[in-house]
Amino acid sequence: MRGWMLAGIRRAPGPLIGTVVAAATAATMSVAALSIALAHTEAPPGRLARASVVVAADTSLHVTVGHGDDAHQSLPLAVYRGVPAALAGELARVPGVARATAESGFPGGVVRAGDVDLVAVTAKPGVPAGVLAGRIRAALPGGRGYTIATGAARGDVANLNAAVERAGGQVLGVALIPPIVLISLFVLAATTALAVNLRRRRFALLRTVGATRGQVRRAIWAELAGCGLAGGLLGWLPGAALGALGVRALAAHQMLPAGSAAWQAPWLLLIAGGVSVLVTVLSGQVAARRASRTPPAQALRETAAERTWPNPVRILLGLAAAGGAGTLAALTFSQKSPAGQLALAFPLLLACMVAVALLGPLLVALAAGLARPFQAAGGPSARLALAAIAAQPRRTASAVIPVALAVAMVGCVYFVDSSITHATATQAASTVTADRVISGPSSGTGLTGGTLRQVRSLPGVRAAAGVAPVALAAVDPDLEQVDGEAVAGGPLGRVLDLGVTSGRLTELRPGQIAVSALEAAPGAMSVHVGSRLTVYLPDGTPYRAAVSAVYAHSLASGDVLIPAAVAAGHTGTAAGFTQILVRGGKPADVAALAAGRPGWHVASRAAANAASARRAAQDGFANNLILGVVAALAALALVNTLAVATLERRRTLRLLGRVGATRRQVAAVFGWQAVFVIVTGLAAGVAAGTVALLAVTRAATGSWTPYIPVGPASGLVAVVVALTAGAVMIPFGAMRRREPSLAR
Amino acid sequence: MVRPRRPSTLEGMQTQTLENIVVTEETAAAPVVLTEVTKRYGRRRGAVAALEQVSLSFGAGSFTAVLGVSGSGKSTLLQCAAGLERPSSGAVRLCGTELSGLSQRRQAVLRRQCVGFVFQDLNLLPELTVAENIALPLRLDHRPAGRADIELAAARVGLGGGQLRRRPAELSGGQQQRVAIARALITRPEVIFADEPTGALDPHTAAGVLRLLRGAADGATVVIVTHDPQVTRFCDRAVFLYAGRVDRVLAAPEPAVVARVLHELGERGRS
Repeated sequence: MRGWMLAGIRRAPGPLIGTVVAAATAATMSVAALSIALAHTEAPPGRLARASVVVAADTSLHVTVGHGDDAHQSLPLAVYRGVPAALAGELARVPGVARATAESGFPGGVVRAGDVDLVAVTAKPGVPAGVLAGRIRAALPGGRGYTIATGAARGDVANLNAAVERAGGQVLGVALIPPIVLISLFVLAATTALAVNLRRRRFALLRTVGATRGQVRRAIWAELAGCGLAGGLLGWLPGAALGALGVRALAAHQMLPAGSAAWQAPWLLLIAGGVSVLVTVLSGQVAARRASRTPPAQALRETAAERTWPNPVRILLGLAAAGGAGTLAALTFSQKSPAGQLALAFPLLLACMVAVALLGPLLVALAAGLARPFQAAGGPSARLALAAIAAQPRRTASAVIPVALAVAMVGCVYFVDSSITHATATQAASTVTADRVISGPSSGTGLTGGTLRQVRSLPGVRAAAGVAPVALAAVDPDLEQVDGEAVAGGPLGRVLDLGVTSGRLTELRPGQIAVSALEAAPGAMSVHVGSRLTVYLPDGTPYRAAVSAVYAHSLASGDVLIPAAVAAGHTGTAAGFTQILVRGGKPADVAALAAGRPGWHVASRAAANAASARRAAQDGFANNLILGVVAALAALALVNTLAVATLERRRTLRLLGRVGATRRQVAAVFGWQAVFVIVTGLAAGVAAGTVALLAVTRAATGSWTPYIPVGPASGLVAVVVALTAGAVMIPFGAMRRREPSLAR
Repeated sequence: MVRPRRPSTLEGMQTQTLENIVVTEETAAAPVVLTEVTKRYGRRRGAVAALEQVSLSFGAGSFTAVLGVSGSGKSTLLQCAAGLERPSSGAVRLCGTELSGLSQRRQAVLRRQCVGFVFQDLNLLPELTVAENIALPLRLDHRPAGRADIELAAARVGLGGGQLRRRPAELSGGQQQRVAIARALITRPEVIFADEPTGALDPHTAAGVLRLLRGAADGATVVIVTHDPQVTRFCDRAVFLYAGRVDRVLAAPEPAVVARVLHELGERGRS
């Protein structure tokens, strides 16, 4: 590498700091994502540590869905199917087995008589576990339908939740990693392009002294690679730390097995550096190509007076993106199924953001035109600020775009969450119509079928129903976990208002099932009243039933209701309910029933609804995680780009000083420009984010009106204003202090 | 060493007519030859002609000032002649090579091997030291830039010692322009183009810089674009442009005469 190519990084790193920061962010995010994705998530084998081989009934549910390569789908089960206790005896006869013990009492263990959770097998000395596992597989009838685990895999059999939690973490990771990587790359590409554009004067000068296009391109690549490498090194440790933190947080929220550890290897440093260099150089490609292709005379002229009209290719691409966003929006809103709308929402947000980013200069020119009638009110400073904006729409756009993207992304993620939470809380608060709710302890002597019968026999009780949450699996249209409730008693309509849209829901008998409108829709389960539907109980047992009702209020009560009698014995816990809902009867009689039983309490309808509304509002870890990361990235992009763009205006500052502007006047010019950036950015961001927000709100809550609480909304605006003002005015203040020509 | 030159007056001047400067076999050997060069900016109706059918040649070792009022096409002429800008029509020959048929890359190589540039502004890379700035054309050309070469080039323009390790920002305007001249000279170019090299300097420093350029050019063809009549004191010839065309050419120009011509051209533009 030739020294002169990298002199810019070594001695005048100012304009490149933004690129290094963006590269470090991209490296941090990649390293964190990788160390979480490759985390060691094996659960400890616990009391099976001394067993060589562990045999349990298949711990996964396998279902064939349609045809094709991905037709065979599976899902980890949280409950043991159970094996006959006699299996231990059979396995003891397999050659090489020293001892085979039937074991029970694991979390999610079976409660059926004669069955045990699993059999732990110890090998005779000198018999490798793998060999023994092969022999056991051959000895078992057919060898299929069993999970035969050795080594680290024993942990997953000892703790079935480990696999379920890991699957949950994977789902979150799949949802989280692409947008984060996309945003980091977007930020990096924008900052890199800005850094290269700001240095076009330098490259033009190199061309006049006889540098070929290739030499200029290579000089830019060398600089960017240097920035990328620096960013990679800087991003490595924070990324590793963030990964470790992420794994701990996921484990704490049961999205990874307890005791999981982030993947920390020396390779991460290489990967961080490699990814960062590669992405920085790639994202600078277009800018480098453009900087090297422009004839030197034109480049020298352009640096003095920017072209008013942006690159036609950019405008064409922007119009294509806007067209794409329009088409996607039309497609999204015409989707009949909420699932289809949800699937299109993220691409829709992305298309809107790309359109705003590409058409930024046009938006700025338009906004400058709209602002012109008001400039007289702001005095000469406002006039000057607006003139600079109108003359350099591209440069102003590079400040407006990060503001708009931050508002669109953070606003969309936050208000989608707030709308769903609000709708859930509203439904939860109105779902229970019973007069009184008896709640039982989460474990131990719970509310049983006997309790329900007792309640129903109380004088004056017109309706009583027991409910317990149950995690089912269903094909909608892929094999997925579906939250539901097991219910008994009735008439259900007297104690629950589920908003039944078709069918009847007085009580559920074995062979019947009720499904939410969200899941019944085409694109999900595609069922209606009278359809036959198969769902899978927690231990994998299929339950085939006829749909007896479809209901609307599913946010609080889950998507499927099944009879409690069907779920009993398949949930890994003793049959029972978490709540019994009572209509009618004397309050004193109900209270007397609960009296003296630890953990039991009786609440009024209002108190029960308030409690469930509170519970609904608290379940936001995944969303908070997404929001936190997106907000941090957006804020960083905003501050980074704006600070670089402001620092680049040193010449303007000097010029204003030379023509006699006072410090106050110059500050006012920069202040007005910050105001323009904030207002235009907010407007563009709100426009881009609203489309996707409406699509998701409509799909998830059935309403066109998103819930936008005033506090957080004004907080978001305040943070954007503060960050923008800070990123413009703080570098301005630093420059002003170093500029002696400015009159006080 | 400043070359001797003849004085001129407006009355008795050896004004060359345009016919005199059409390309002949003799002028064809000149390092810089422009033949019917036209340069337009913009398209169709909005097009503005910066140069119209300009034919000029700059002989080997000549020192020529290109003058004119603002907007007369001086800088465009220099950029077309140096291959920084492609003419809309016409031909440019630089150091014996026709530019029109040359790829961008070959043009860049030709520039760094046979042309030196000095600008009023934008002339030094701020992050490089004085020595590195001077050596840049050699480095770009993959030629060795020995310490002795750099020191020699710097010494020719009166720079040396600790100044070589400094950055441009630590030097005065006149010193910076000296660095630019040293950089233009280090490849021993056949042609030196200078665009308002003294525009930002006080008269005393400007005279020093021009004297330096004249002395250090050492046989190179020098073309200076300027609007300062005093510059012509050092020139063999003054070419006046008006509205993109060559208006007249003065041999051995006198600053007072040049000032009167410029005034006349300015008045013509106003009427």
